[in-house]
Order: sequence, then structure tokens, then C-alpha cells
Amino acid sequence: MSVTLKSLRKAYGAAEVIKGVDLEITPGEFCVFVGPSGCGKSTLLRMIAGLEEITGGDLVIGGKRMNEVDAAHRGIAMVFQSYALYPHMTVRENMGFALKFAGDNPGTIAKKVDAAAATLGLTKLMDRKPKDLSGGQRQRVAIGRAIVRNPKVFLFDEPLSNLDAELRVHMRIEIARLHQELKTTIIYVTHDQVEAMTLADKIVVLRDGRVEQVGAPLTLYDDPDNIFVAGFIGSPKMNFLKARVQNGQLALVDLPGQTLPLTQSLPEGSEVTVGLRPDIFKRGGTAHLDLTIEIVEQLGAETYAYARAGADIDGQPLTIAVTEGRDLRPGQALKVTFDPARALLFGKDGQRLR
Amino acid sequence: MHTGLTRRENLTGWAFTAPALVLLGLFMIYPILWSLYMSFMTGKGMNFKFGGFANIYRLTQDPIFLHALGNTLTFLAIQVPIMIILALVFAVALNNPRLRGRAVLRTAIFLPCVTSLVVYSVLFKSMFADDGVVNDALLFLHIISEPIPWMNDPFWAKVLIILAITWRWTGYNMVFYLAALQNIDPSIYEQARIDGVPARARFFKITIPMLRHVILFTTVLSTIGTLQLFDEVNTITASQGQGGRPADATLTLSLYIYNLTFRFMPSFGYAATISWVIVILVGLLSWAQFRLAREK
Repeated sequence: MSVTLKSLRKAYGAAEVIKGVDLEITPGEFCVFVGPSGCGKSTLLRMIAGLEEITGGDLVIGGKRMNEVDAAHRGIAMVFQSYALYPHMTVRENMGFALKFAGDNPGTIAKKVDAAAATLGLTKLMDRKPKDLSGGQRQRVAIGRAIVRNPKVFLFDEPLSNLDAELRVHMRIEIARLHQELKTTIIYVTHDQVEAMTLADKIVVLRDGRVEQVGAPLTLYDDPDNIFVAGFIGSPKMNFLKARVQNGQLALVDLPGQTLPLTQSLPEGSEVTVGLRPDIFKRGGTAHLDLTIEIVEQLGAETYAYARAGADIDGQPLTIAVTEGRDLRPGQALKVTFDPARALLFGKDGQRLR
Repeated sequence: MHTGLTRRENLTGWAFTAPALVLLGLFMIYPILWSLYMSFMTGKGMNFKFGGFANIYRLTQDPIFLHALGNTLTFLAIQVPIMIILALVFAVALNNPRLRGRAVLRTAIFLPCVTSLVVYSVLFKSMFADDGVVNDALLFLHIISEPIPWMNDPFWAKVLIILAITWRWTGYNMVFYLAALQNIDPSIYEQARIDGVPARARFFKITIPMLRHVILFTTVLSTIGTLQLFDEVNTITASQGQGGRPADATLTLSLYIYNLTFRFMPSFGYAATISWVIVILVGLLSWAQFRLAREK
């Protein structure tokens, strides 16, 4: 089922929190809303769910305008961050509760609940209460409760935030597997860009109630529209260096005396920000920087080196991610090379210069 | 292992609790044990002798005791359920964020239980007098054609007492429910909305079960309170210093104990026996309520 948002707005009194969002989610797509806290991603999800009133614009689910339709009749199911399990009911009762009100008979309910429980590996826990379950199990019950309703669209509101790191990776894979099996449209909210990158078919980056960019994970990674998206997507973060166009080259303001080749035509004297992903330093190239290593983090497969230009002591160090870096040591001089075509340039307004 | 240090810490601990323990022992534990001993004594005033189970036999033969017991249980059976349901309804209504003036209403409903007993009794007496505001209002609205004899009719006197204690204690119970409701994760109700659970089912299948422990707690507290009912029947339905009027229609066990001890020729032993009847009733009813509320 497709979901379409047409200049969707939400205001609390005079404060506008969603400032006109246009979005097209195709049937079966896994769409992730990502952004820093307070960007409006959860509010947008709750507007789609029917838990928040829509101030302006249109919400269309499966070709039908849903602005005023009750949450129960939008064909959606939601998984909350807190799981929102009914604490006094067993796993079985939790999963079957909604079906009672949908008019299913007890036989059908039992069949649907058992099928969902089998998919999620909950069969042995059916008679337990939520308080006797671990975080991961509760999460699975919440997902199972959504599955049994056979919704047209699944909504997930930061479903993994309450889990520890290891379980989070595990559940992330389970959710991806579930999407492959069910092929249902999913809208998923997270503040974690790793979750967004790994799960999404389409990422929607939000900031201050506006969409910054929409696209496939690697599109956002390789070709961000602005500094915000470039900095938000990707871990470790992209390095940003201030530069000025001088004599057809980029003179780096933060690294005095060093220059980078200019790969696109820009007027002499224009001020730009150069974005360098930490992983572009892996291969050789015509551009180079002379740095001194400050801190080394060995991760086994990769090495992160945090390095500065010799004289420069202010500002953020550059993050360099390399695979052959076991011999790097703090204090060591490091000459990094890279392909200048991989450097992204942003104008003074933060927009990408293409 | 007891080292010198832990012994010293122990002694310090006991020293700090000793004053409280002495007071508790002197004014709680000793009287309780003494009353148990007294309940086996017969005789008037300070002239008493061991009577074995004579007082218990006397209970079964005492029409006033049986009458007071009947009254007390009537108050309990009618007033407690009304008050609990009313408190729940108020709590759920006042927990709705869309209700305006919540803070004012919450305070208004809670205030009666901190109001002075004397002030409230005097007010109720005057309001429910034959020519009081309540009758006047009911007459004015043509709900009744002649004044209700609140104070002089056995039935209406009971109704008046039930009204009074309900007015006084509903807000107290409501506060417990409000606190419990505010602890419920709002996502649970949002989930119920998405699940299409109707309002009625939300109340009976989600709210009530989630408040079960608080409901049990308040029911036990209210049961104990009502079994000890004394204040209202000794003030509102009292005249010339005698409570439980008219014709003992509002005589409760506690009031009867008071009468036996301080109004009639003192019969301390028998009065102690009746107070133990209340203890046993409280124990039995609490036990039954805990069993009923137990998770299946």
C-alpha cells in the first residue's frame, strides 16, 4: 500500500513543528525517517498513525485520503518505543486483543496469533506476562501484535532505542528479515543513522520539521544535497574543512599553506566548505594532505586516526579511516592521498555545489 | 560475625529506635494485649472477674449488638462500592488532559477529607435539617412534595450517613487512582486506539485491570474505615449528646463500644470483646478481598 504526504503540516498553536512535508512511499517500501531529536520525525509518524491531528495538507494511504479517519481504520499497525504491551495480559492475549474488536472469532484469532508467534519465535512464551519477558522478547511481542492485524502499513517509532547494543543489531536484522518476508510497507523512525542506512530502501532526512533530502541510503551517502545530510549520514562523520578558491586551487583555511586541486569551476575568491569522508583516504590519488596523528583507534579490521595539520591546534581533528593502519602511532607524520573528485563542495548557505 | 564495631553500631541503632519502641509498646501493644485479656472479663466498672467465653455468649444474645452489627455491615455493603466506583469515575474523568479546570476540580473533590470534622458535621446537620437547604432545593425543584425527614426516619438517616461519608472520603480514594493512572504509559492507550478498542473496553479491559492493586488497597482501607465508623454517627445523627439516632438506626459497632464504655454503666470487658469482633471482621474481609483480587 502506498503512502503519500502532500504538504503535510502540524502546528501547536503558533508553533509549527511540521512545516510542509511532501513524500511518496511506494508499496512494499521500507522508508526510514531519520533526524536529530526534535526534528519532528516522531510527530510525522504519529500524524500518519492518527494519533496527532493534521493541521494542513493531505495524508493519502492506498489512494484514500486519511486526514480525518480514525486511527483504528487507517489500516496501520504501530510498534512503540516503550512497546506499550498490556501489562496484565499474557503474550497470547496481547497479540489477540485487537482482533477481538475486529470481529474475528476465537478460532481465527488463535490461528493468526499462533502463526505470528511461530514467525517470531514466541511460541514458548505465549502464557507469560510482559514483566516476565526480556527487552528483546517484549519487542518481538509488540511486533507480533502488529503482524496479526495484517496491516497495510507498519509504523515503527524508535523500536530499538530501549535495547542494548548487541540486541539492537540482532533485532535490526530480524526486522529486515521480516520485511523481506511480509513485503509490507514500513515507515520507521529512528535517530540512529546506522539503523537508517542498514534497513531503509528510502531514507527521509528531517530537520526542524522539513525534509532535507530523500533517497536511497547510498545516494545520501555518496551524493548529499547539503552539509546537514552529509554530516548526519555516515559513521564516522564526514570531515569538513573551510577553503577559499585561490589561483584555481582550494586554499584550506583550517590548514594554512595546504591546497587541494579544484575539480569544478568556481569564481576566484569564493568561500566553500570541503567535505571529505574518512574512508576516501584509503586509495591513492592526486590530492594530498600533510597531517600529524593525534590519536589512533584500532578496531581490528579498520583503524581510525584523528589527525591535524602540523601548526594547527584549534578546531576538530580530521578523521581518517584506513584498513591498513596497524602501524600508525600518535605523533607520527601522515601524508594522506585521495581522489579529488571524491571531495564534496558546499557553498556558504550549506547547499552542495555541483 | 559480630565484631566490636558492628555491636556498637547495633547498640546505636537500638538507642535511636528505643523512644519510638517504648511509646509503641506502651500505647499500642500493651493496650492491644490488655484489651484481649479484658475481653474475657465480666463485671461492671472496675469490678471485674474472669468470665471465660461469657462475653461471647452475651454477644449472641444481645439485640443491640446484633442491630449495630447489621447497621455497620449495611453501611459497608452499600457505601464502599458506591464510593470506590465514584472515585474511579472521577479519577478517570480528571485524568483526561482535555478536561478544563482539572486542578480546581481535583482540589475540590479532595478537600472534604481534610476538612474539620466538627465544621462538616455542623454544616451537614443544618443542610439536612427538615427546613434545611437540601430539602428546600428538592422542594423547589419539585423532586419531592414534602420534606425528607433526614434525621428522624431510620431509612433516611442511614442514607444521610452514607452521603456524608461518601462526600468525605471519595476524593481521598480518587487521589490514589489518579496517581496510579498517571503512572500508566500513555502509549498503551494510543496502542488501544490503533487497535480499535472501544472506550468501554478500554475502561473495563485495560484501566480497571491495571488499577487492580490500587483498587484492592483502597477497598481494604475503606472497609476498615467503615467498620470503625464512629465520627458521623456520633455527630450528624446525634442529639443531646446521644449518637446513632433515630432509634439506633445509625448505631454502629464503634458507637456501641463507646456507649458501653462511657455512656452506660461501664462494661469494659464486653466492650473489649466487641472491639475484637471488629478486628476479626477486618481480618476476614481483608483476607477475602486479597483472595478475590489475586492473579489467576
